[in-house]
Amino acid sequence: MWGSPKGEIRLGEIQNTWANRVSDKGMLYLFLLPTFILLLFLVIFPLIWSLYLSFCDYSANTANPPVFVGIRNFSFIFQQKEVWDRFIVTGKFVAMAVIVEFFLGFFIAMLLNREFYGKSVLTTLFILPMMFSPAVIGKFFRFMMDTNWGIINYILGKLFGMPKIAWTTSYEYALPSIVIADVWIWTPFIVLLSLAGLSSVPKYLYEAADVDRASGWFKFRYITLPYVAPILLLAVLFRTMDAFRFFDLVYVITEGGPGYSTQIVPFYIYKLAFSYWHTGRSCALAYILLIIIIALSNIYITYLNRLRRA
Amino acid sequence: MKKLAWLMVLCLVIGLWGSIALAEEVTLTITWAAWAPMDTLIALAEEFTAETGIKVKGDPVPWPQYHDKVFTEFASGKTSFDIVLPDSQWLGEAVVGGHLVDITDWFNEKVKKEDFYDTFISSFCEYPDGSGKYYGVPALGDFFGMSYRTDLFNDPEEKKAFQEKYGYELKVPETWSQLRDIAEFFTRPEKNLSGVALWQAPIPTAGLTDEFLACFWSFGAELWDPATKKVKGYLNSEAGKAAARYWVDLYKFCPPGSANYSMDEANTAMQQGLVAMMGTYLAFYPGLVDPDLSAYWDKIDFFPTPKEKDWYVQLGGQGLSISAYTPHKKEALMFLEWWLRPETQWKWAQAGMFSCMKPVVEDDKYLECAPVNKVARASYPHLKDYWEIPQYNEMGTVMAEILNAAVLGKYTPDEAMDLIAEKHEEILERAGYYK
Repeated sequence: MWGSPKGEIRLGEIQNTWANRVSDKGMLYLFLLPTFILLLFLVIFPLIWSLYLSFCDYSANTANPPVFVGIRNFSFIFQQKEVWDRFIVTGKFVAMAVIVEFFLGFFIAMLLNREFYGKSVLTTLFILPMMFSPAVIGKFFRFMMDTNWGIINYILGKLFGMPKIAWTTSYEYALPSIVIADVWIWTPFIVLLSLAGLSSVPKYLYEAADVDRASGWFKFRYITLPYVAPILLLAVLFRTMDAFRFFDLVYVITEGGPGYSTQIVPFYIYKLAFSYWHTGRSCALAYILLIIIIALSNIYITYLNRLRRA
Repeated sequence: MKKLAWLMVLCLVIGLWGSIALAEEVTLTITWAAWAPMDTLIALAEEFTAETGIKVKGDPVPWPQYHDKVFTEFASGKTSFDIVLPDSQWLGEAVVGGHLVDITDWFNEKVKKEDFYDTFISSFCEYPDGSGKYYGVPALGDFFGMSYRTDLFNDPEEKKAFQEKYGYELKVPETWSQLRDIAEFFTRPEKNLSGVALWQAPIPTAGLTDEFLACFWSFGAELWDPATKKVKGYLNSEAGKAAARYWVDLYKFCPPGSANYSMDEANTAMQQGLVAMMGTYLAFYPGLVDPDLSAYWDKIDFFPTPKEKDWYVQLGGQGLSISAYTPHKKEALMFLEWWLRPETQWKWAQAGMFSCMKPVVEDDKYLECAPVNKVARASYPHLKDYWEIPQYNEMGTVMAEILNAAVLGKYTPDEAMDLIAEKHEEILERAGYYK
């Protein structure tokens, strides 16, 4: 009945539609086209354009066109002590956050990887922080860590008689404060991936080990760890990449202070780009950060491949 | 058939009429920080709408994001607003970028400059200074001032104890040295009371730079040589270093952990009674005397930032400027003209806002409009503003970050001022000011 106003099926008419004239390969490209156009305009073009701008003297805030200056932006960045300081802060932050999240997340996953009453509720509670906006969490932490009216100092004072700690405004505690907030948000991510890895270990291996009276450490070292190591490494890879482009908590909790002691590289890129309007220089720094992240990721991936082969 | 033709003609006429009416209906969008003056301005603009039929709506942005949001829109070459109230220091950045309408001819015809304090004209309207090119009209005459707890200052026991310790009467400080004594006197950690809350945040706007500069200039220092733009020897002169030493020393009498204080934190400290004095832009005063927000609302009064060798007060506030990307320039100029009328200015003042118009400010009725107006009148002749060049944000950030680090002991005050001077000259050199 379809395709014919008279209610008759005419095979010739159906075969003559535009869809039937397109080859399979053509159809394939047609389906890919919208995605390709989106990628081109939202990812590839900005990437290439920002790469070009990284070699230009340009301020997006003025009507002047970009002026090509070669590698001047890159050499300027490498000569600035402040930029190196920010890389050191970023390194410290990434190391502290990822290490704590890894061990804490894996430990919690080990605890959750057994049957007990209320397990599903507890697991859901553990992964809740990951679902909130980091900016909102940052604001909460800023209030909770306030020296004078924050609940953390209040509790520490009431329970242990501790003096007020300037969590977010002292050189000693500002960076650890941001790490604490980041750990609170992102440890559940490690928990989730670790749980997925742990649940993939075949039960019969543990049963066989029990028959051989293997110790708990032996079972962990020679059964659990080899099975979960690849997925753990993947979790660490994701967290490292994410920690390198971390921005919102710093913006909300310390605004980069005290001084510029908690200004990690992405925060500095933001300042260069949107506060000082050094668009070219900010693009150059963003590319340096991108190269570092790619290099680190490659190291992880090489190690991950080796683990898989082993 | 004839009836149908008439019907079609009628529909056509109605349609055309409707579309003309729609085309004539203009709504002006004003962007400003999300605070009480914005609400007041939009409420007041209803009278403009009643008079002209041009609707006005507000697009408030939280203070910390205000600059970046406005300039990101400017950079895109299309703005969601028609009128903007830029901070005085943004004027150069906006003008050099070509983002504001040059209203020089209109300004010269419509604005009586002698009706306004010079600083408001040079800071909110003219760029570069002395060029005779205008890009806005004065709107909110804000300035940095101080608030204090009257219950503490007027307590006879406190007065007696202060007199015994310092040898002079406890009253509103007239000099920064007296302010230090009073801050020291009221610093009582065991009672959870500190002497003074100041903006110490390491950010260029609404941070340490705003409040420090009133002290810096009053100590006799200068930011640079206005002609050559050389900084060394000015900013890090002995007067500049003395101001920095004073500022770092004063932090002992600020609330613990207050090195990130900006407007919200400082206001909260005052509202909660944690400090005896607090510095802020006084346009924020409504929150301090609001019974719903402030535990000490009826025990708070205000005074100007003090003098020392000289007397300078940091300018705040904004002018009204027109976005270069608005299709409604004519209507925006009509709004500016309405705004400058004395009767509009009086309504603005009666709503508790700072007028920039001399005949309003100098009329004694103005003092009855708000508790801070006596401070405004005393402060206006001493107003001074910092850099208005496009590099102001970078220079302000450098100053705020390094001084903040000095307050926390990373640098000595002298080292900090030397470092700031060096960094400022580097910024100005790169920007081509020394060619």
